[in-house]
Amino acid sequence: MAAGQERVSVTGPVARRSSGQRRLFWAALAAPGIIWLAVLFIVPFYAILAIAGGQLDLFGNPVAVWNPLGWRTTNFTGAWHDIAGASAFVGPILLRTLLYVALASVIALLIAYPAAYFVARFAGRRKALFLILLIAPFWISYMMRMLAWIDLLQTDGYVNKALSFLHLISQPVDWLGGFGITVVLGLVYGYIPYLILVLYAGLDRIDPALIEAGRDLGLGRARTFLRVTLPLSRQAILTGMLITVLPMLGDYFTNQLLSGTTGTTMFGNVIDDQLTSSGGVLEGQGAVFSLLFLLVLTAPMIYYVVATNRSSRGAT
Amino acid sequence: MHPREGWTEDRRPELISRRGFLSKGAAAGLLLGGGSSLLAACSSSAKPSGTTSGTLTSGGIPLPRPSSPVTWPIYKDNPAIKSGLAPEQNATLRLFNWVAYINPDCLKDFGKKYNCKVELTTFENMDDALAKLRSGQHLGFDVFFPTVDVMGELVYGKLIQPLNHSYIPNITQAWPDFTSPFYDGKWQYTVPYTIYTTGIAWRKDHVDENPYTMANPWAMPWQAKYRNKVAILDDARESISLGLMKNGIFDLNTTDPNQIAAAGQTLQDLARLTNVHVDNNDYTEVPSGQIWIHHAWSGDMATAPSYMPKGVNVDVVGYWFPPDGKGPVGNDTITVLKGAPNPVLAHLFLNYMLDVNNVLTNISYNGYMQPINGITPQRLVAEQLLPPSLMSTAVLPSYFRRGVMQLQIPTATNALWEQAWLQAKSA
Amino acid sequence: MTTAITEHPARETRAGVLGRLRPRRNPWRHAWFLEGFTWLYLIWSLVPVGLAVLFSFNNGRSQSVWQGFSWRWYYKDPVNSVLHNPDLHAAVIQTLRLSVYVTLITVPLGVAFALGIHRWRGPLSSSFSFIMILSFVIPELIFGVAMFFVFTKLFTPVGLGSLAEVLALVTWNVSWPALIVQARLVTIGRQYEEAAADLGATPWQVTYRVMMRLLTPAIFASAVLVFSGVIDDFVLVDLLSSNSGNTPMSVYIYAQQRGGNGGPALNALGTIMLVMSFVVAIIGYIGYRWLTRGERGSRIDALTTIAGGES
Repeated sequence: MAAGQERVSVTGPVARRSSGQRRLFWAALAAPGIIWLAVLFIVPFYAILAIAGGQLDLFGNPVAVWNPLGWRTTNFTGAWHDIAGASAFVGPILLRTLLYVALASVIALLIAYPAAYFVARFAGRRKALFLILLIAPFWISYMMRMLAWIDLLQTDGYVNKALSFLHLISQPVDWLGGFGITVVLGLVYGYIPYLILVLYAGLDRIDPALIEAGRDLGLGRARTFLRVTLPLSRQAILTGMLITVLPMLGDYFTNQLLSGTTGTTMFGNVIDDQLTSSGGVLEGQGAVFSLLFLLVLTAPMIYYVVATNRSSRGAT
Repeated sequence: MHPREGWTEDRRPELISRRGFLSKGAAAGLLLGGGSSLLAACSSSAKPSGTTSGTLTSGGIPLPRPSSPVTWPIYKDNPAIKSGLAPEQNATLRLFNWVAYINPDCLKDFGKKYNCKVELTTFENMDDALAKLRSGQHLGFDVFFPTVDVMGELVYGKLIQPLNHSYIPNITQAWPDFTSPFYDGKWQYTVPYTIYTTGIAWRKDHVDENPYTMANPWAMPWQAKYRNKVAILDDARESISLGLMKNGIFDLNTTDPNQIAAAGQTLQDLARLTNVHVDNNDYTEVPSGQIWIHHAWSGDMATAPSYMPKGVNVDVVGYWFPPDGKGPVGNDTITVLKGAPNPVLAHLFLNYMLDVNNVLTNISYNGYMQPINGITPQRLVAEQLLPPSLMSTAVLPSYFRRGVMQLQIPTATNALWEQAWLQAKSA
Repeated sequence: MTTAITEHPARETRAGVLGRLRPRRNPWRHAWFLEGFTWLYLIWSLVPVGLAVLFSFNNGRSQSVWQGFSWRWYYKDPVNSVLHNPDLHAAVIQTLRLSVYVTLITVPLGVAFALGIHRWRGPLSSSFSFIMILSFVIPELIFGVAMFFVFTKLFTPVGLGSLAEVLALVTWNVSWPALIVQARLVTIGRQYEEAAADLGATPWQVTYRVMMRLLTPAIFASAVLVFSGVIDDFVLVDLLSSNSGNTPMSVYIYAQQRGGNGGPALNALGTIMLVMSFVVAIIGYIGYRWLTRGERGSRIDALTTIAGGES
């Protein structure tokens, strides 16, 4: 590409040949990623199917059956009984999980939106400072944040100390004794940083001129917000909710850390137990539950993928 | 599940250090996971000499029960060492044991006595330990501390060697039962190590009831007034057994689906009544007062004194095990591995761990009782190894005889147990 | 405005009326309520962690009573400090090891994938592009379950352990470089490529000498994200670890905390994790700013990019 180099025409036989070569080149670049995804993303999901359709061997270990023709329904019927049969126990857990996640995501949204809105619109010169503080939890691992909370929620921890200092409680509350509200607030605390970031990005993108226009048309602050800002941030809210709700539905560790009782188990706990603490005999049913979970979430996931695809392919 | 399952190195019972747990409970049924190698061993050329009497089998291997004791075969290609050999010189004796389960002082003392080095390698759960031993790598371990329920696998898999009793005269110090326990007739392969029970620990200052005067003490956790303050162990076998015993069934290896289902059901009731915690932190939660009634292990509760918060006397902590001995009992054993580089030293080590003085030193470290004559609750209190209020964590010979051991069960039954447990945990 | 009201009284808006009746409020006034709310949120969000970090330097075991400053839990305590406790130690090493290996594999893989997919249109490439985004949004538990089964039942030589953890983490994180680079490619447009091609460059030259230069900031940002993502990861490594030799810090803290209050050594471990992430973030920010020097873009954009937001 030195100066003076001749321009080569990109039409004609030379171009056609190199266009095919070029295609091969790009394909070769993408190939490792494609092969990797095929082997380590697509195949594992087939492995779940194989285990779900398989059975236990002589010694109680689950055996994967790779040929679809050899699939049995043992695990599926077992899972069905768990959900709807005589000894069904999964139903209440599903409801509870949905309740916790719904509560947690609404609370998270109610907290995150104003904060993101403030930083995006009103922070002015201190925007960078606020942004750093806002993003900081993103760099603090989930476990560390939970650890910090557990420290504070102990019977002799600072939360109780502060509450009794403010005379809001007369006796120390056993926050970690097995309460749903602790788990819900823990979920909020854990997942809110991701939500805030997405909301901030979305709100930041709103052209200030549009808000000014609303004001010029005589809308008060509240009205401007309802009529202009909120609809424009709808996409951000949806995306934010998706990336908050989807991981929350599979959460099992928040409950284990903040409660550990039978009254607060979530759906993720069931799958985790089936896989890791049943000694192998319930792995097949764990596979079935995972598939069901996947099935239920397919619609929202596909929506997210399509939306991202649309925006990333340049349709801004 | 073994009380030491999932422990990590930073648990030091005599220090007030905090401990942790990777609770991945392993069911007994999984222990036959290396089945193919076992079946190969069964059909190997060496003809076993010795009889096996056991009505229950799983995969062709007898399942020992107190009602059907098993004397293991001795294989011609796995003989005991000869008598009268001198201990190995300039050797390093290698032990393979649970985490934080043997006093390093004992190891040092043995090393001084027999002029050798002693090295300890630890494992966190029995499955991993067995997988390591089965892998055929040259690990160089001499001594192994298995639980009773993996005996069949160890013998048939030719992982341990039969003992030469001439090196272990101290067996006379052990309780007479252990010269022919049901799981190892004529103590061909094992000497006993620790012995423990599962009972109920409670806080006398918060709980009105006294299990010793209750009609059905196993039902003590089932009280709604202690909501959020009750806990059971995070293990399928232990907790379903609790349900069984509450229902009056004391066959803790039952294969009856109705009994198992009923036990699961009663645990679900417990969950609804009390929002029960499911964890293995009996040793911290009862002393700290976080939990008032905890399904607990004896050895854990024996270390309660080191976890009491300042200003709270250990007398408020109680541990109950049925005085008639009808409750879950377990014991560990010490064995010599096949192909041990230092078999004579290994035998001498087994002998060493049967002497009452060394045992007292060991108990001062891990809190777990050993079935040696002279180790009585009174002696432990006198030696200040146990506070008087926790004397019941010590195990009596009658407990071993009348207690119920949680042993291997057939695979299909195991699935029933696990299923019932999963339902109970999620109620 | 007053003239408008007097000239067209019929169209007087409610806001206009109230505006006359109420003292005039500056619509651009400072949002005190929102600011207070934001500060409250920030305090709720960061103070607990600050306290946890503080008490990792506590000279005693308590989490609420300050007993003096000490490095005890980091290296002084001969038994329980991070330096001397073999399990804590191993956890730190494992986290670092995983982060480095995974970043080194993921970034080239993802960048190459994004470049290739961007120019090689077709059904295969679109479907894998679809799958790439899917891998971003799938719940980690389900993916972990899939990985667990595939390594214990199919690719059994791998089994559970460090190799499985690395493979799973790479697959989980490859969407970061892929999506970030893809977004940047869209922004850059085809002008440079076409100019280079016009000047006779082969596709390889175009990629190496033109695109990579232009993409360096994005590649760098994605490396930063992947590295810190691996430090923080929990579910995958929880399902795929097998013993204390391949347990990273996140799983160790979880296991210890479940086993009762872990104690200040865990706080020390958590603080180390935090410092690692922050160092990576700072390097990322400075590096990104330096790489994009001369470009139109502010500190804010840099901050949001290294946190994974689309700028």
